[in-house]
Amino acid sequence: MSSFTTECYQNEYIQLGGSEVNAIVTVTSDGAAGQTTQPEAAEIVIIDTSGSMGAPSQKLAAAREATSIAIDCIRDGVAFGVIAGTEVARTVYPPYETLVTASSQTRSEAKRALRRLEPAGGTAIGSWLTLAGTLFATVPGRSCHAILLTDGENQTETDEQLDEVLTELEGRFQCDCRGVGTDWRVSELRRIASTLLGSVDIIAKPGDIAGDFRALMETAMGKATGNVSLRLWAPQGANIAFVRQVAPTIEDLTDRAVPVNDLTSDYPTATWGRESRDYHVCINVQPRDAGEEMLAGRISLVEGDETRAQALVKAIWTADEHLSTQINREVAHYTGQAELADCIQEGLEARKDGDLATATFKLGRAVQLAAESGNDGTMKLLQGVVEVDDPATGTIRLRRDVATVDEMSLDTRSTITVRVGPGAT
Amino acid sequence: MSTENVDVSTQAGPSCPSCGAPLQPEDRFCERCGARVGDERKSDAVATRVELDLTIAAAVSDQGLHHRRNEDSFHLEVTGERNVAVVVCDGISSASAGNVAARNAAEAAGVVLGNAVADPDKDASQVILDAIQAAVDAVIQVEWTTRVKRVDPSCTLVSAVCRGSEITVGWVGDSRAYWFDREDARQLTVDDSFAEEGIAKGLLTPEQAAKSPFLHSITNWVGPDAPERPPRTVSLRPERPGRLVLCTDGLWNYAPSAGELGGLIDALPAGAAPAAVARALADTANDRGGHDNITVAVVDIDP
Repeated sequence: MSSFTTECYQNEYIQLGGSEVNAIVTVTSDGAAGQTTQPEAAEIVIIDTSGSMGAPSQKLAAAREATSIAIDCIRDGVAFGVIAGTEVARTVYPPYETLVTASSQTRSEAKRALRRLEPAGGTAIGSWLTLAGTLFATVPGRSCHAILLTDGENQTETDEQLDEVLTELEGRFQCDCRGVGTDWRVSELRRIASTLLGSVDIIAKPGDIAGDFRALMETAMGKATGNVSLRLWAPQGANIAFVRQVAPTIEDLTDRAVPVNDLTSDYPTATWGRESRDYHVCINVQPRDAGEEMLAGRISLVEGDETRAQALVKAIWTADEHLSTQINREVAHYTGQAELADCIQEGLEARKDGDLATATFKLGRAVQLAAESGNDGTMKLLQGVVEVDDPATGTIRLRRDVATVDEMSLDTRSTITVRVGPGAT
Repeated sequence: MSTENVDVSTQAGPSCPSCGAPLQPEDRFCERCGARVGDERKSDAVATRVELDLTIAAAVSDQGLHHRRNEDSFHLEVTGERNVAVVVCDGISSASAGNVAARNAAEAAGVVLGNAVADPDKDASQVILDAIQAAVDAVIQVEWTTRVKRVDPSCTLVSAVCRGSEITVGWVGDSRAYWFDREDARQLTVDDSFAEEGIAKGLLTPEQAAKSPFLHSITNWVGPDAPERPPRTVSLRPERPGRLVLCTDGLWNYAPSAGELGGLIDALPAGAAPAAVARALADTANDRGGHDNITVAVVDIDP
């Protein structure tokens, strides 16, 4: 059984009358079950086979090849299936609405079935997800994961229809979403991935799908836990300002709270492999007198009914401003990373709307934040969209000709954060 | 009162002093309102003043008028005719669980001193150093983790071993020891503080130091993150009867020089018992504002 450890970073000193308590909690899972197979898993690959996947023709061929590689990564005993999506969804393998147990025979059959895929029809992603939900429901008790590949926008169903589906499926399975090419909508896939606790990324070239699918499936197979929740207790009278995953990517969990009792809520985090994630919690508590100390929050990792690790968030009120005005390094860092993601998304949105002043301001601030925090990956992506004159002050010029792929890459990866660098204060 | 009238609800178990919710024995924080409860349990219903009168020695620890809890602590022991072991600690209030640090440090150091004070074969300075080491070990054990390095649980410590008229004092931080007799009023300790270092290096006059914002910024303390500076010790063998006084800054803030503090003692009736002296000094600190916790220990020395 894998074990969890936590570390809590905070300045617990609060100025008199102050009520806001911030903490960064690093949760690390050693993924110790990695060496054993985990037959409780279920996997579905959902491939877009709409007409656009045939243009250019190598797109569908690449998707087929990538799916084939992903199938090879599925361990014996895992329940799996493949779905093809157009304006409707249908099962590619097995040919009826259920999942089969992976073995060398079923994996070969599945790969053979992929050859029958032909590009034709529209895109109704909600219907694909609904079918995945139906198939996963045939193997209750397993931890369910899907990979969804699309190259276009959701066209043959409304946003409201998709929202309904997502509400229905939330918590039923985890779904990593990939957009190939540049004709899909970042906000749409982000919404799906975010609701279904998965990742979202852009695959610019069809040839890169295979490598990405292999990595996704290997990660999924390395998951050593069932569904894990972050459980947050806060004292009576407190209110949770936000709960946010801040590394490896920013993900606001605040609205995902599932109440356990009056003072406790669970925030689902899906399955864990050998990995580490950081969370930022911000709690408003009732102020107390100088010198008084309180527990402002208790964060636990809960798998099933079992608490696997916990961290305490404390508050001590002090008149000593030297203590209370220090902002904890980790809290400051991740507050900056969250602002960075917001600035990129708002800046790109403004740019699309032709509001170049806002776009320049927001993307300039993003450049400054990326430079300060050493987020080189994001900086490189920003440079595809803006000309950086002075990273320290955020002086930039918007590029006139921006490749769509650069803009979409920046948007998609805007939520990727870096950890606190050594020695940075 | 008949037994039927006993209110059993109050005997159901401990409850949170802040909100009244029931507590489990292992709780360190109230599960309803989050108030810290764990460390206070050892000294349930904390009195605002603790006094110990051992005739030839006495100590008073007072919460003062502005703090919500007493983060000072002391240990006082008299063995044989005139062997006295005394420790006074001041929990650093900007540190988490400073009160626990002070209590544990005083207890640990006091036990070491108490065991050795009557044994003339043991070198008094070494006994003091051993006692302070025991205090450091005890404070490191204080259960509290924090990422803000400078505020690990910590405290100051001043201690003394008196064997008859042979006095040895050891200290870390800015809690002080003084000697008073009919001719002399003398501070025995030198604060581990920026102010004292400034004076020692000629950067500040004592008057400037008294007004310096760094007066209370100490340069050594008992705690896991303390600088690796050895505790200092001083010995004396007075020839005249007098009084050894150990105290925290809650007292000396109101009488910073040995002369001023000696003046307060001289104003008392001649031959006042140690307990009366300790009480009077603590009262004076409260009369003058009581801004901090006040702890004072007084030992009569009669060569």
